[in-house]
Amino acid sequence: MKKYGLYPGCVMPTEQYALEKSIREVLPYLDIEIVDLKGFSCCGEPLKSVNQMMTLTLSARNLAIAEKEGLDLLVPCPMCHLALSDCKRILDTDPAMNQKINKFLEDEGLKYTGKSSIYHTVEMLHNIVGIEKIKEKVKKPLIELKVATHYGCHLFRPSEVGRPVDSENPQEIENILKAIGANPIDYPEKLECCGGLLNANLPESALTKTGQKLQKVQEQGFDVFIDVCPWCHRQYDSKQKKAGETVAAKLEMPVLYLTQLLGLSFGISEEKIGLNLNLSPVDKLKLGGK
Amino acid sequence: MSITDLTSMGEPQTELRKEINDRLCKLQDEISDYCYQCGKCTSGCEAHKLLELEPHKIVALLKRGLIDEMVNSDVIWTCMSCFKCRERCPQKIAPVEILFALKNMAVASGKQIPGNYTALLQSVLSIGLLQDIKSVTTRDNKTLNRSDIGLPDISKPTDPTKFQMMISKIAIEKV
Amino acid sequence: MSNRIGVFVCHCGINIASTVDVKDLVNYAKALDKVIVSKDYKYMCSDVGANLIKDSIKKDKLDGIVIACCSPRMHEHTFRGVVEAGGVNAFNLEISNIREQCSWAHDDKELATSKAKALIRGAVAKAKLLEPLESSKIKVVPEALVIGGGISGIQAALDLAEEGHKVYLVEKSPSIGGRMAQLDKTFPTLDCSSCILTPKMMEVANNPNVELLTYSEIVSVDGSIGNYTVKIKKKARYVDIDKCTGCGDCIAACRLKGRISSEFDEGMGKRSAIYLPFPQAIPLKCTIDNEHCLLLTKGKCGTGPLCVESCEAGAIDFKQKDKEIDVNVGAIIVATGYDLLDPQSLYEYGYGRSKDVITSLQMERLISSSGPTTGEILRPSNGEKPKSITYILCVGSRDETQCSWCCRIGCMSALKHVYLLKEKLGDDIEINICYTDIRSFGKGYEEFYRNIRGMNTNFFRGRPSEVRNERSHLSIDIFDTTTNKLFEIKTDLVVLVPALVPRADAGDFARLLRISQSADGFLLEAHPKLRPIDTFTGGIFITGCCQGPKDIQDSVAQSSGAAARAANILSKKELESEPLISCVEEDLCSGCSTCISVCAYSAIELVKDDDKSHAKVNEALCMGCGACVASCPSGAMQQRGYKDKQLKPMIEETLKK
Repeated sequence: MKKYGLYPGCVMPTEQYALEKSIREVLPYLDIEIVDLKGFSCCGEPLKSVNQMMTLTLSARNLAIAEKEGLDLLVPCPMCHLALSDCKRILDTDPAMNQKINKFLEDEGLKYTGKSSIYHTVEMLHNIVGIEKIKEKVKKPLIELKVATHYGCHLFRPSEVGRPVDSENPQEIENILKAIGANPIDYPEKLECCGGLLNANLPESALTKTGQKLQKVQEQGFDVFIDVCPWCHRQYDSKQKKAGETVAAKLEMPVLYLTQLLGLSFGISEEKIGLNLNLSPVDKLKLGGK
Repeated sequence: MSITDLTSMGEPQTELRKEINDRLCKLQDEISDYCYQCGKCTSGCEAHKLLELEPHKIVALLKRGLIDEMVNSDVIWTCMSCFKCRERCPQKIAPVEILFALKNMAVASGKQIPGNYTALLQSVLSIGLLQDIKSVTTRDNKTLNRSDIGLPDISKPTDPTKFQMMISKIAIEKV
Repeated sequence: MSNRIGVFVCHCGINIASTVDVKDLVNYAKALDKVIVSKDYKYMCSDVGANLIKDSIKKDKLDGIVIACCSPRMHEHTFRGVVEAGGVNAFNLEISNIREQCSWAHDDKELATSKAKALIRGAVAKAKLLEPLESSKIKVVPEALVIGGGISGIQAALDLAEEGHKVYLVEKSPSIGGRMAQLDKTFPTLDCSSCILTPKMMEVANNPNVELLTYSEIVSVDGSIGNYTVKIKKKARYVDIDKCTGCGDCIAACRLKGRISSEFDEGMGKRSAIYLPFPQAIPLKCTIDNEHCLLLTKGKCGTGPLCVESCEAGAIDFKQKDKEIDVNVGAIIVATGYDLLDPQSLYEYGYGRSKDVITSLQMERLISSSGPTTGEILRPSNGEKPKSITYILCVGSRDETQCSWCCRIGCMSALKHVYLLKEKLGDDIEINICYTDIRSFGKGYEEFYRNIRGMNTNFFRGRPSEVRNERSHLSIDIFDTTTNKLFEIKTDLVVLVPALVPRADAGDFARLLRISQSADGFLLEAHPKLRPIDTFTGGIFITGCCQGPKDIQDSVAQSSGAAARAANILSKKELESEPLISCVEEDLCSGCSTCISVCAYSAIELVKDDDKSHAKVNEALCMGCGACVASCPSGAMQQRGYKDKQLKPMIEETLKK
């Protein structure tokens, strides 16, 4: 079993428990061992508007912690993944910046040298575990489930920094879904933003973005909406009702994390993948097979 | 001899413009000078329809050096950082990064931070995370916390004092 | 060897004189060994300067000249003539560059002057050892090769043919005509493109001085200016062109009729495996496509090939083979044209995902009456008339992530389309143009633009971020910077105006001819302002879009220019070759052949004299690049005018303290 350190970020470990639960269940099933490390902090990306140096330093210290343990990181949150990737890009190519940030890290006895790699869950599933292995583990294929995929902006942009999936036509989640028997279909709004970051200062606008996209998805007759980011899921699932009220629409779209749907297709119980934590009407789906 | 914007009676702030362009260079982003105002960024901006953010105008105002009017505005805080503008710009300019620079400038100048940002910042300072562990309500109306769900203890900075010392040092750092 | 050297120092106005103390230099030079006279003048390249040198040669009986001035790239050629006119061999001249390499590179007057002194010192040391050289004569073959049968190639071929020179016109595709044949009308005059093109096509086909080689490719190019040997492959058409009448019966009969994507129609229509590219093709002979024809690819076409059955003239000949011929020409003109950027590079615009997103050239085929829809504008998705057509300009142009250059013709061709579409579909057809700048720079272009503005066209100044496929229509959000408003355009047909790019094989082709490409991949001109037709390779000229995007009139003008440049060579019986080429010291040569392996011009061969093998330089082919000299392990290979025994003292003197 290959070992990866889990970098949880902030939103997943403090409220988006279904993501963490389903990851901890599904990945070992696919021979990936998750190691918990001590000492992590926020990646700093949500505070980039306040002070970008803080973001760089926070990301650097988290990478340094992983380095100390000699581990690569599994990063379930695309926003954290972007922060850590961007930090790596800058510190690996600019010696002056590298020196400056490492000076701050000295206070905690940490040093960044760029040894640890960073993987998002989708990358891990698609590129490291591989489609063939996922296919093998399927016990209850989800035939004909019409799926709308939502990658989340930070997973595929900005491509210049290096992202795990293509910035205009990502297909990794689709490939994984096809492997478990589902039917993902492209739709014009696929790459639209959930608005999640605006929760900090303009929550109603965030909900409007969320509601508008869900409405479009619903109108196009999708059975389920799959996401891979705790910020996005918080909008689409946990706040679906509020989003519906904000855009004056009745939203009844089941929203699941990709890892949750994967777990169900592997025959893992609803309880183990935290299905009770989803607030969207997931019971609408006769999940768990034909 | 002089250039004056007759709507605001402001003049180009060349020093501040240089500061922002230097910062962009340091972070390996393109400077604002190359923008030819095609508007592709604004045409696709996720925040434009709802909140009237015009990324191309932000770049134009930066080119012109009219920085204060942006730093003091509310509109710079409407960006969703979806990065579409940076992705699609034919001159490789990143209005999103320019907006981060302007926001950082607003904070550094002592302007009040909008919304929840102060609370998020305070939380990171004290526990290292944006927020503390929450109890959640399930679909069938039960209230559960992390340990109820069977999840292990969360990861936090091991020495909070040292962590806070580091944070307070960076808080005054500019790029 | 020179014993009486004259040093002439130029002020170049203030270019040299403001940073270097010219008077000091003159005095310094006078004191050098073998320097008889030392003078200065404000502009040595002027008539006065030239006379100064000539008079001094006579009066002071000079046999070697050093001119301290600008880069030899500027006036070395002129000064050689001056020296020759004064009575000294043109190659007993050494130029010392005290401008680009001294006064223009430094600020400190003292240091610059002392550097200039060192440079002159070295130049004098070399001048003492220069040998008189004679140019050899190259016999000129008075025939030309034009590569590319579009309007550019056709114009160049016609001009040369009229001048009385034989021209081989080689075209890769089965017919001449190029891009212009694909157009319906041309801006700004709205001439019917075929109507103005076909007379020229006929002229060039009928001109007794032109040998038309269509469906042919260049295999290799050897030789140099005045005498090129070119191997041309005449591809097998599998049709006997002496028998074929171009009647088209075979096309109608072909088993693959309507199954193969037509290149001429940019994929908007289909053709058979045996085909005529377009009705006015010249030569009007059919060609069988060996990549699709069932008999040629699978060895079997049903119960027998239907084309053979239908051909009354018995012109089909599956036994045909490619043929290679050699031609000998004095000059080559390259007119190979352009390609369009594949808009799938800008995935967000939906090209390739929605049938109703097409390129401007594809729209040109729809508009054309000889096109796949006989001139009817129909939505490719459902064959219905569109109610709204939206153009997006600059797709991949002026884009640092795609093509950084402007395509030059996009704006005008879009405006032209507006006119033609309104003519066909009525004034009410909604046409939207999303532009960043309208570049209507040429004669008559601004007037044309004004007319289109007056034709109920919706101009949006802005660039869409994406094109959304909403199944029944396409949806575009565009921020219009003129009104500062965001518009949502629901439209039936989107036309992308893509960047113009060099042909995919431009790189390989350039290497074949040993010419260069500029950073954008187009073929490189010798100087963008003053020599836009010449390349750095003598005798090879470039014209039309292969040199850079341009419209038809600029292509035609440039082509006539290329013909004149070529005729310059072809009208001479012989040319003088540069004598600064390699030569072999046979006694020192061991015949190791290292020089042969590095020579890019195949100008060296191994010959046997008595029992010993040694290298021999073909003076007609040698370009004087010096690679062989650098590679020679024994020092047997030397370059005239730059021999080791001349350069060593020059270096030592220059570096002396």
